[in-house]
Amino acid sequence: MAHDEELIRDLEKKANIVRRNIFTIFDASQMGHAGGTMSLVELVTTLYFHHLKIDPQNCDWPERDRVVLSKAHCCEAIYAVLVELGVLPEETLSTYYCYRSPLQGHADRWCTPGIDYSGGSLGQGLSFAAGMALAEKLKVLRQPPSEGIVKFMPRYISRYNPLYRSYCILGDGECHEGQVWEAAMFSAKYKLDNLITIVDYNKFSLDGPTNEVMQIEPFVDKWKAFGWWVAEINGHNLREIADVLDLTSNLYGDGKPKCIIAHTVKGYGVPSWEQAHTHIARGEEITRGVIEGRAKYGHI
Amino acid sequence: MAIYNKHVKIGSRAMAAEGINNGMIKAAEKDDRIIAVLEDMGFPGVGWFKENAPERVIECGIAEANGAVVAAALAAEGFIPFIHSFAFAAVSRAYNQIRQSILQDRFNVKILGREGAWGEPGISHNHIEIIGATRVMPNLVIVNPADTVEAEKCMMAIADYIGPVFLKIESSPPPLRIFTEDYPFDIGRACMVKDGKDATIIATGYMLTEAVLASELLEKDGIDVRIINMSTLKPLDNEAVIKAAEETGAIVTAENASIIGGLGEAVATVLSENMPAPLIRVGIEDEFSQSGRITPETDELKAHFGLGAEDVALSVKECIAKREALKKRK
Repeated sequence: MAHDEELIRDLEKKANIVRRNIFTIFDASQMGHAGGTMSLVELVTTLYFHHLKIDPQNCDWPERDRVVLSKAHCCEAIYAVLVELGVLPEETLSTYYCYRSPLQGHADRWCTPGIDYSGGSLGQGLSFAAGMALAEKLKVLRQPPSEGIVKFMPRYISRYNPLYRSYCILGDGECHEGQVWEAAMFSAKYKLDNLITIVDYNKFSLDGPTNEVMQIEPFVDKWKAFGWWVAEINGHNLREIADVLDLTSNLYGDGKPKCIIAHTVKGYGVPSWEQAHTHIARGEEITRGVIEGRAKYGHI
Repeated sequence: MAIYNKHVKIGSRAMAAEGINNGMIKAAEKDDRIIAVLEDMGFPGVGWFKENAPERVIECGIAEANGAVVAAALAAEGFIPFIHSFAFAAVSRAYNQIRQSILQDRFNVKILGREGAWGEPGISHNHIEIIGATRVMPNLVIVNPADTVEAEKCMMAIADYIGPVFLKIESSPPPLRIFTEDYPFDIGRACMVKDGKDATIIATGYMLTEAVLASELLEKDGIDVRIINMSTLKPLDNEAVIKAAEETGAIVTAENASIIGGLGEAVATVLSENMPAPLIRVGIEDEFSQSGRITPETDELKAHFGLGAEDVALSVKECIAKREALKKRK
């Protein structure tokens, strides 16, 4: 399980590239969901550059892992990753919010290769990810065993890998939505152990501290009570993220959906955004943030 | 004696739900990608599913928002999910979910919404605004079969059609059996049930029954009406409407739903943009429904809303009078 230093160093480099791409997006659009995007950087970097089974050359590969960004307003982070993966050309970074751009204001499956879910209205992504996880189970049922992926997992779990896994990235404020908990019940009922939810628990939603707007605590207990396997990590620690993601894969076969509660900081890495718990940054706020960020992480 | 279309043979009353059940089973037998998504409201042909393909039954419980999005994801993965519940739950409760997760990406989800425009359950369940609420949604096909034969054919057709569909299942009262077994049903094509020269009744769903009964009443008064069955509410068969206006010059629409946003408004748009003609919309005025008993002798809400054959016949006469008054002004 322990990951070597080299991998973590590589991921750090990738995370910085992702951040630089995000700054390019913000610089061109002069507006963006800065706080929630920056809190995602390490999570999506580790997910895409270390953990996911994907093929950037073939975004429609039927056996790719699915990623549902339920907090779709923070799609800037995913766009930054897709550019680094070579799925999107670098020039597109400056077209965020533009007409006919693959970088739509909210993640859009029609417009952007590598996007599995069109979001925007919050609270629906977990249902979609659960539906995709359920579809995987149905597909496997219909396959003759030899056609499935027959790679054995580590020796202590003699289970096949799933055809694909389904990942959902939730915001903490989004968990105010009742539908998240409908989906949580559903996933436990159908034993979707191929479903992994990552909650970006950055503690702030638009109107203020998430738990003051509407208390979601005791958060871990809630997920447990709904029948989920739960882990808490520091969402900015690449090693912890890589460890827990790989652990969820190894636990496949236990019949439980997995929830990773990632404690993060809104606007992470950019002091003025961290301080202001910035949700949407515009004008002066975004210019200053981009300057601060570039000073810290470098320019493309 | 009225001369009907060769695919029409008026019979006794039968619940459209029977056709829905049969159609569902036939479609599911033919295509194993079809998945039944339940929302604790039963499912057409559920017995067949449980016996023959229990893994194709997904029970979401009373959580329609989740149900709609799970169905969207199943469709994204190549399955053909059918959702079934009351229309107020399957559609209106999950309106935003349908909009974002199903329609934006045009996922191949079929929504069967049970809708007693009038009947015992009362104001909450008699969801009369459903057509207007769904007609404004891009990418959605809306069908409302008129009898049990059409309901069965409609189910087969929407299963074959690739894209999201809302099918309105009208619970009560039972419509007349109108179509013969060889009736060809196409999504988006209206059917001329009976030709006529004096006026046209364009009806949808159960109201085709009242339209047929109205035409018999009018025949006694020497008025020869054309009857059009508009079972697809979107996309609307514009040509059938234009032709009716051109050839009969007076149109009455009949729907078992609010006249705001419904069939009447859709027809009005086609007429005013292409072939202006006098129009009367028979339907439920801008009000909520309530409970009302339906027995073979009485139908309290039909009388309250003015949706009976007599009301339709009266509207036809009024519409003809409008046309004649307009002629005089010219």
